Amino acid sequence: MTLFLAAVVACLFGAGTFLVLKTDLLRVVVGILLISHAANLTLMASGLTRGKAPLYPLPEDEVSDPLVQAMTLTALVIGFAVTALLLGLAYRVYATHFSVDFDRLAEEEARREAELEREEVSV
Amino acid sequence: MTLALPLAIPWLSALALVALDGRRRIVGYGAIGALAATLAATAALAVEVWRDGPLASVAGAWPTGVGITLRADALSVAFALLTVSVLLVSLVHEVLVGVESRLFPALVLFLTVGLTGLFLTGDIFNFYVFFEISMISAYVVTGYGGRARQLSAGFIFAVVNLLGSFIFLIGIAATYHVTGSLEMGIVADRIADVEPSTVILIAVSVFVAFGVKLGLFPFHFWLPVVYASVRPAVAAILSGALANIGTYGVLRFGADVFPRELELGASALLTLGAITILYGSLQAMSRRTAPEVIAYSSIGQVGYVLIALAIGGPVGYAAAVLYALVNAGNKVLLFLAASLRGWLVGAAFFVGVLSVAGIPPAAGFFGKLEVLRAAIAADSAVLVALVLLGGALSVVYLLQIYQHDHWRPETALAAASSPVALRALTVAVAVAVLALGLWPEPLLAASREAAAALGGGR
Repeated sequence: MTLFLAAVVACLFGAGTFLVLKTDLLRVVVGILLISHAANLTLMASGLTRGKAPLYPLPEDEVSDPLVQAMTLTALVIGFAVTALLLGLAYRVYATHFSVDFDRLAEEEARREAELEREEVSV
Repeated sequence: MTLALPLAIPWLSALALVALDGRRRIVGYGAIGALAATLAATAALAVEVWRDGPLASVAGAWPTGVGITLRADALSVAFALLTVSVLLVSLVHEVLVGVESRLFPALVLFLTVGLTGLFLTGDIFNFYVFFEISMISAYVVTGYGGRARQLSAGFIFAVVNLLGSFIFLIGIAATYHVTGSLEMGIVADRIADVEPSTVILIAVSVFVAFGVKLGLFPFHFWLPVVYASVRPAVAAILSGALANIGTYGVLRFGADVFPRELELGASALLTLGAITILYGSLQAMSRRTAPEVIAYSSIGQVGYVLIALAIGGPVGYAAAVLYALVNAGNKVLLFLAASLRGWLVGAAFFVGVLSVAGIPPAAGFFGKLEVLRAAIAADSAVLVALVLLGGALSVVYLLQIYQHDHWRPETALAAASSPVALRALTVAVAVAVLALGLWPEPLLAASREAAAALGGGR
């Protein structure tokens, strides 16, 4: 079970990292989302040392540690809020630049820097 | 009760202010009042802790070991006091300039909740929650201003720091897995029995998380873009208040929770610290605009904290705490003064330059002196030379900026003087830095107490 979870976490983290390195802002957001779920799964896995998940525990069942599930729930909520915030930011970037591509944004930035420098020289 | 007040005051007033339009003067003054009350509550807590020793209480009257602990020792109150003052100064500055976004005052208060909570918690997972509260407010504050540069800076800041947060979360999960507890004290006791090869992995992931926050050398790439494109008050908040998460985290987790791993990794930390100092100073020398120079300078300054921490022992920890505190003050002064014009502001900026370079009578002198003492205690000629070289380089790059902004007639005279209230605020910060340099006893005592609380005295 631990090995299986470790493999899933590794896949999620790897896929997330791959997406974060893309230039499209939306892919970056999805990448962050995948990485946050890798962290959440690790949190869940850290408490699975004994018993079963306490979905419907019978008195004779040994249940696993419920604290990690409370923590995961908190982390999930935080991850959700952060994703909403990132999407909002990406939208604001799109509304001001009409693009969500980092390369394009960087180009625009470089052009503006060059303009500023020219102004400074002429002063 | 005193323990909960620095959390409750900003939280409740932030909730009230969210509903109001922050662009109105009166709301801004309300937020300033709430922050001043928080500062007073934190100061009262600090006095109590310095007099009677660490305080702890369990939230919701749960028995110890079950509920979430709030805990205040000399280290946490020193950082809380500094952070709240920095936030207060930055908020006053922004209110005097004129707030542009309706949420800004409330966001600064939420940031205060996150930061004081983080310093005053004794529970690792709670640390993460407060950490996220302050980071989420910081992401929004970075985008404040709404111009294209600030928005993309905010996005980069958020993505890089979220990666750091999730790595920290994985570190927490691993800590819980090997120790079965989340309370820092219990974790520190139990972790001594765990295999060092396991714990070193956890310690590295925690260190990476805080390294990202601090902008240490291999994790620094996001920092200059962000610091150089946000508004001065926001830059002051990020460098003077938010970066304290990194220094406090490295000190608390390094010296308190993973002391054995800190010793194992000391040479790696020394190398990183040395590279950070040199890289930050050299990059700062090659930049021309003031915010960029100060941004690279703040990368470099963190290196000293790291070196002092790696040297360890009571002397090293005290030096690290003192340097972190003084450095935060310097950065606020420099970022605020660099955005203004007028002769007294020039003088204030110059005080900041002296303080960063470690020249008396500014407070930075004692920061450098303590790090130097730690380097001598470590018996390393290379470190002593590095600390002195770093100081010399910082004089060069900061004086370049001073000369460019205040001496060249076309830049100095063309710009009209800034409003009197803004200049007075900046001069007040400069006077505080000078006063701490002339009468450093309280600062030195606070950092020694903090180092003792860290187990440096153990």
